[in-house]
Amino acid sequence: MGLLDKLVTIATTRETLLPEGIDPFNVVIEEIYSSTEGQIDGQRVILAGTNNYLGLTFHPSCIEAARKTLLEEGTGTTGSRMANGTFSGHSALEKELALFYGCQSAIVFSTGFVTNLGAISSLAGPGDVIVLDADSHASIYDACRMSGAEMIRFRHNNMVDLEKKLRRLGEKSTNALIIVEGIYSMLGDCAPLAEIAALKEKYGAWLMVDEAHSMGVLGKHGRGLAEAVGVEQDVDFTVGTFSKSLGAVGGYCVSTHPELDLLRYTCRSYVFTASPSPSTISSVREALRVVSSQPQLRTKLWENVEQLYRGLEQSGFELGPDPSPIVAIRLPTKEKALFAWKAILEKGIYVNLVFPPAAPAGLFLLRCSISAAHTPEQISYILKTFAELKPMMTAAT
Amino acid sequence: MATSQYDTIFQQIEVLLQEHAQLQVPIQDDTDLINDLGFDSLKLMEMLEDVEDIFDITYPLNDLANLHTVKDFVLQIQQITGGE
Repeated sequence: MGLLDKLVTIATTRETLLPEGIDPFNVVIEEIYSSTEGQIDGQRVILAGTNNYLGLTFHPSCIEAARKTLLEEGTGTTGSRMANGTFSGHSALEKELALFYGCQSAIVFSTGFVTNLGAISSLAGPGDVIVLDADSHASIYDACRMSGAEMIRFRHNNMVDLEKKLRRLGEKSTNALIIVEGIYSMLGDCAPLAEIAALKEKYGAWLMVDEAHSMGVLGKHGRGLAEAVGVEQDVDFTVGTFSKSLGAVGGYCVSTHPELDLLRYTCRSYVFTASPSPSTISSVREALRVVSSQPQLRTKLWENVEQLYRGLEQSGFELGPDPSPIVAIRLPTKEKALFAWKAILEKGIYVNLVFPPAAPAGLFLLRCSISAAHTPEQISYILKTFAELKPMMTAAT
Repeated sequence: MATSQYDTIFQQIEVLLQEHAQLQVPIQDDTDLINDLGFDSLKLMEMLEDVEDIFDITYPLNDLANLHTVKDFVLQIQQITGGE
């Protein structure tokens, strides 16, 4: 068998799935006009699948901060954090993140993916146990494999299963790291974090929460689900990303344990990759200030969430379990989902098309993500378009 | 004794595999879960949940790297349940 033979199956699947037109998994945004509008396939579209929850990619003060640093410090660091890639901005952002979370330690990484890869695989190792939610992000699964720890999966948001798995560990539970997400990226549902925190305490385990989709979105100060449900003191490690609410790219891990700082010497994804560009760091620092100082953005975001979720619900779509900035529409088949995605795009709306295994439980999804920057008129247009296309999207073939 | 326990697990696994497999072929020791029974990652996870319930065990995902045939599977479960 040749090296490339295994790709034949993928090529065949792609041909059957994509007989003509634009490839939903290789979309090019040809022009970007604002945090909610761009051009795809020659057409102006509403961007309703970009995770830009607070719309900060075009926030004037974030752009100005980045522009100023770009001129002063250049386009990149050309080195890893451990070598020449730590500028004063990187250190300042870490202090600001620690302050934001009320934690002792924070580490900035180059992306959210490598944050998980590095933090998890450095914290847990052979002899330890990672107990992860079944719907965890690919970066968490990959990190668990890298760690060499025993890897145990519990059913998504199922506390009976989690407790069963922890109980069976016996004394090993004190070496177990439970990993969950604040808001799950595909269906937009939240972890039952208060119950998870209680189980963590009961079995003496450790808890990591990935707030990638919930930072800036949940909690009075935007710190995420742990803040929203009042269990921040029970969370040992919080990981997150700069590429969603903060409108840039990069990631972070914060902790109440000062030992987190030692990960700088062991995290391969910290040591062996270039650090975020100085202009990116400046925009993130400014975005963090905006998250802290403008709670009205969260209020607007949740108004938009309610409008979209309730509107789609009223049109009879089958949605994810909870209203959240991620609104997932379930469709009956792969073919229907693909048809719907293309039809929606032709009407000038971009959303994400998600198939298994990226989608959980064998679901076929049109995944919308809503922003505080969307106008009520844009959301009304999205609702009207979905309602008009619904008979074609859901009818049996 | 070990053979008997193996056979008991095999019989339970056989039922489960037939229930979850994409392709219906006779289940034997050397039957490959992916190539012969058509399991993909999703179906495998669903089946593992049933295995955990039926045998009241936790199946570590690390074991998936060594899971190819029905015999591998039965031996893994035998080991997890404390058998030979």
